[in-house]
Amino acid sequence: MADAIAVKGVRAAQAAPPPPAPRRLRNGFAPAVPGLAFLLLCFMLPVLALLLRSLTQPQWGLQNYAALLATSTYANVLFNTFAVAGLVTGISALLGLPLAWFLAVAPRFWSQLVFGIVILSMWTNLLARTYAWMVLLQDTGIINNFLIWTGIIQNPLPLFGTMAGVVIGMVYIMLPFMVLSLRGPLAALDASLFQAASLCGASRVQAFTQVFLPLLAPGLAAGGLIIFVMSLGYYITPSLLGGAQDMMLAELIAQLVQTLLNWGLAGAASFLLLVLTLSLYAVQIRYFSPRRGKEG
Amino acid sequence: MTQAFLELRNIRKNFDSFTAIDGVSLQIPRGEFVTFLGPSGSGKSTTLYVVAGFIEPSAGEVLLNGRSLLGVPPNHRDIGMVFQRYTLFPHLTVAENIAFPLRVRRRPKAEIAAKVDEMLRLVHLSAMRDRKPAQLSGGQQQRVALARALAYDPQILLMDEPLSALDKKLREDLQSEIKRIHAETGVTVIYVTHDQEEALRLSDRIVLFNHGGIEQIGTGEDLYQRPASAFAAGFIGNSNFIDIEVLENRNNIGDVRCPDGSTLSGVPLMGRTQTGKAQIMLRPEHIRLTAEAEGIGGHVTDAAFLGDVMAHTVLTGWGQEIMVRTPRQMFMGPPAGVGDAVRLGFAPADAFLFVPH
Repeated sequence: MADAIAVKGVRAAQAAPPPPAPRRLRNGFAPAVPGLAFLLLCFMLPVLALLLRSLTQPQWGLQNYAALLATSTYANVLFNTFAVAGLVTGISALLGLPLAWFLAVAPRFWSQLVFGIVILSMWTNLLARTYAWMVLLQDTGIINNFLIWTGIIQNPLPLFGTMAGVVIGMVYIMLPFMVLSLRGPLAALDASLFQAASLCGASRVQAFTQVFLPLLAPGLAAGGLIIFVMSLGYYITPSLLGGAQDMMLAELIAQLVQTLLNWGLAGAASFLLLVLTLSLYAVQIRYFSPRRGKEG
Repeated sequence: MTQAFLELRNIRKNFDSFTAIDGVSLQIPRGEFVTFLGPSGSGKSTTLYVVAGFIEPSAGEVLLNGRSLLGVPPNHRDIGMVFQRYTLFPHLTVAENIAFPLRVRRRPKAEIAAKVDEMLRLVHLSAMRDRKPAQLSGGQQQRVALARALAYDPQILLMDEPLSALDKKLREDLQSEIKRIHAETGVTVIYVTHDQEEALRLSDRIVLFNHGGIEQIGTGEDLYQRPASAFAAGFIGNSNFIDIEVLENRNNIGDVRCPDGSTLSGVPLMGRTQTGKAQIMLRPEHIRLTAEAEGIGGHVTDAAFLGDVMAHTVLTGWGQEIMVRTPRQMFMGPPAGVGDAVRLGFAPADAFLFVPH
């Protein structure tokens, strides 16, 4: 009897007609030709030229890549790049999650006000914002002066020209991307899900780690990926707020091209950056794409 | 009476100026299936959420086995609940959803596996164990939710209109499923619904809520046969209310006058009034259409053949529509059609008398 009903359940589930597949537009290729041609000429060809240079200058071989990974200065730059990108991503997630939570649960007025502030900061000119941080982070800047005035510190903190300054400046720029990525998934959460978890015996911590975080994982992954990838190749903020010891990959490429005229090494560094970015993107598509769960 | 399993003592809940629950007292023995029935806003769901621990009452006491539940957080109350909306965890499979309450209690793996199998068998969903909730129908999701709520052998199972999102056929299937599961597990159930048919079908006892208070407690038959108030009579089953005047009271049996001037003798007054204005309630199945000269006169405005019964609507001389249901075997001759003049006959003893407030 039990089996009969279970089988009936299977049939019922299978009998439900699949939702009609959206009709694909046909002949979509022709209108896309100008755009594709533009990308081919201005993106794909230069990338290939860059790859070629990295393999041929000054001679054929992988010596540029070997130099990039083996020379301690360059390896250091790679490490710095990953460290800054990782820190910026992590801190943005830690700050962005409560902020996005506030946007989801706060009364409409406050939610819209705070969201407006977040968006406004995104729309403000990047250079203006970075210069503002230069002023704030100086040894005699507002932050250090204030901390000394309150007596918390005696000597100014090394904020400007250090990795700390770069991370602060970049978190400020990247935070909105995390908030935007989490806003949708948070708004879609059903409060009764947490009531159910609670009645099931879950403590607040268990409900947070076993229900809340897994449900937000796609949003966190999407926001994290955007921020990590953007941070890997970031140039303006690190070059204005960072110091010589904390050089990042984009700065190195600029220096190699503009000062050292070493196109082969610059090409290798650029190509490395591109490969890193694409592999991270592939990971995100494989594991966190929102479509995956639905197709199951 | 011995100590009740679950007892609510004079529960009140005020939201700002609005009183959601106004002094609810109730005792529920172990293993009983109790339904909170009432219209929306009657306080039935609020009372359920007080038991669950999501709403702190403004006054009163909730006792389980004689111990107060107030101040005990929901995750320590040992109560299972099935919600109106589908609340399965979307990132977990069916089996993982059922295992969730056991996992957070850190039960041994083998015990969890055995219990999940048992629960899947109980709700007849063993074949679905590795599916995600989004791949299940609404009815299947609620069955999984039921399995999840029962997996940890809770003291009480709360159900908050769990079938209201399902269509009628599926709802009836699940009602019998819920009844069977109650019988198999013996768990104490509090079931909230606004659907009187569902309440009658499922419950040992029905608690009828109205305006934040309890209107009547009893079995379905109690509520139907002996409604304590006009509200109870109107909410359970179909009913016709007719304004009347009690002319004379002889030992609690009255002579009354109907709006068309006709009089009836032998209406039980149930100690509710001496003389004066009142209402009588008549069940549609207690009225018959007659061609005799006595009874309330009217003409048929609607006639529908419903298989086992014939349903008529009769417009009386004073302009009130009266519902009449005649069982199939009582049809005498061709049933009355629309426009026919008829008379409504009933036994005075079948009339319930209420005095409107």
